[in-house]
Amino acid sequence: MKISKEARKLSKKLFLGSFTEGKLDEAKVRTIAQTVIDKKPRKYTDILKNYQRLIRVEVAKRHAVIESATDLAGDMRQQLLGTLRSKYGQDLTTEFKISPELIGGVRVKIASDVWDSSVRGHLSRLESNLATV
Amino acid sequence: MSNILQELESQISALKTTTVKSNVGIVREIGDGVARIEGLSDVMLNELIEFPGGLYGLALNLEEGEVGCILLGDEKQIVEGVEVKTTGRLLSVPVGKGLLGRVVDTLGFPVDGKGPIAATATYPVEKVAPGIIKRKSVSQPVQTGIMAIDAMIPIGRGQRELIIGDRATGKTTIAIDTIINQARINKANEGKPGFRPLYSIYVGIGQKNSNIARSLAILEAAGALPYTIIVSAPASDTATNQYLAPFSGAAMGEWFMDNGMDALIVYDDLSKHAVAYRQVSLLLKRPSGREAYPGDVFYLHSRLLERSARVDEKNGNGSVTALPIIETQAGDVSAYIPTNVISITDGQIYLETDLFYQGIRPAVSVGLSVSRVGSAAQIKAVKQVAGKIKGDLAQFRELAAFAQFGSDLDAKTKSILDRGARIVELFKQVQYNPLATEIMVSTLWSMQNGYMDDVPVDKIKDFQLKLQDYFTTRKDAVLGKIRDKGAIDDDITNDLKAALTEFKSSYR
Repeated sequence: MKISKEARKLSKKLFLGSFTEGKLDEAKVRTIAQTVIDKKPRKYTDILKNYQRLIRVEVAKRHAVIESATDLAGDMRQQLLGTLRSKYGQDLTTEFKISPELIGGVRVKIASDVWDSSVRGHLSRLESNLATV
Repeated sequence: MSNILQELESQISALKTTTVKSNVGIVREIGDGVARIEGLSDVMLNELIEFPGGLYGLALNLEEGEVGCILLGDEKQIVEGVEVKTTGRLLSVPVGKGLLGRVVDTLGFPVDGKGPIAATATYPVEKVAPGIIKRKSVSQPVQTGIMAIDAMIPIGRGQRELIIGDRATGKTTIAIDTIINQARINKANEGKPGFRPLYSIYVGIGQKNSNIARSLAILEAAGALPYTIIVSAPASDTATNQYLAPFSGAAMGEWFMDNGMDALIVYDDLSKHAVAYRQVSLLLKRPSGREAYPGDVFYLHSRLLERSARVDEKNGNGSVTALPIIETQAGDVSAYIPTNVISITDGQIYLETDLFYQGIRPAVSVGLSVSRVGSAAQIKAVKQVAGKIKGDLAQFRELAAFAQFGSDLDAKTKSILDRGARIVELFKQVQYNPLATEIMVSTLWSMQNGYMDDVPVDKIKDFQLKLQDYFTTRKDAVLGKIRDKGAIDDDITNDLKAALTEFKSSYR
């Protein structure tokens, strides 16, 4: 997606203005988006698209996707959440997913970090190691 | 039986499941061999990125929210939204003697159908060139076997000598001749104490497949393939592979240098390499400069050619000699890429179309060709006979233009013209037939000492061929003396005089 330098700069400014005490402020985000839509500055769709992308990346930093082959028991979920929140902060949101293709184990993804202890992950690592031998 | 079961059970329970942390990203855009990836917060510059299906990419652009990545294979199976991950590795290629005699692609995979390659090690494709402390001055010769070059523009081991000229002026031929000559020398001296073989690497960048196949066939026919590695990135290959091919070749050459051996690399050619890099850069949306080349096209070639060096005993005691090739358009050496590479290299062999069509082949332009460090590496015997030739030939060129306007010439001018015309004839050489140094020395000696003065210019070639034949069949002892001593002393002078007198008495 080709976005002009001007639109990128402005969306970045808007993004930086969407924080309150270092945390993303939902109310501010809504206000900013509405203001852009109302005032329609030059290339406003590009500005909004890039603004949305920046917000999406920022939200992903505070959101953990926990995948497991079977449904995790309640105490195990709590234990996992506790560990993750102690590492990433108490405002971390979570999403539990059941992915049978993992075969076994758990895979946690937060922004671009992935912790993988699934059987599928072990198998694919083994496969790539064998391929390089 | 229950014991073994208990044992197994305890072993299984003792096993720890490991959790592996990785850094991933999502493909947002893909096409033309380039992918833009969101995420990959820990990626490093030039790091290998793993795509699903065993495809790898190279992270070249690290931007604020995205990573620009070039793909090292077919992108068709990759779709937008797939997850990719960092590997923590740099792109590496197999190196070692197992590659000799093989044709490989940019990544070091065989393309000659001769089975897998027995490589003992891998080297990173991008490597920092040896620094000043590690280097040693160039003092050993690279014999090209081409008389005009070895006599006037000598090349030393560790030098970077550019071969530049228009299309179809014999640039590749000079490089192939040099490779063939190295193979001949290696074969003749195999096992001799103190002999340092010179292994060759031919990197074909953006060439037609048919051209690379032809070069391969010539090397095979000349028996030079066992001492040669061919890295092939033909025109049908991706721009990424064409851009990386010379760096892969350099890595293969560096292995020889680090292990006390000498290597010669031919980059055929860097004009097409620059074009491939321009394509990659434009697709990565890097800002373009002159002729749409990116700003770092100079650094691209300088960092590649700086890797050719001769290192001292503590740092490998080997060398990498580079023969980059540049194709000019209508003889214009002042274009962007030619001037860049001319300024990087330690001299150039300039080939002229006019000379080529006049029948002067190799079409080396004496005035524009130079070797900045090679004379230190020239064998003493060659220096003794070829010391003044470049000057003589330059004088001849100047006078030849002037002499066209008048027929009355003084004796001195006439002698310069006669000598020049004979040197030009002498330097004509058929392709893929490099000459041995001792043959070159004896021929040049006979010319310098006036034994060819009474031979008509149109008979010089015939005289030369018969003289060479005479020396190899009947005066091998004299050639052997020149070969062993490496210089012309009184004893050899007397032998040469006697041989020439005998030959001239029988020459018809």
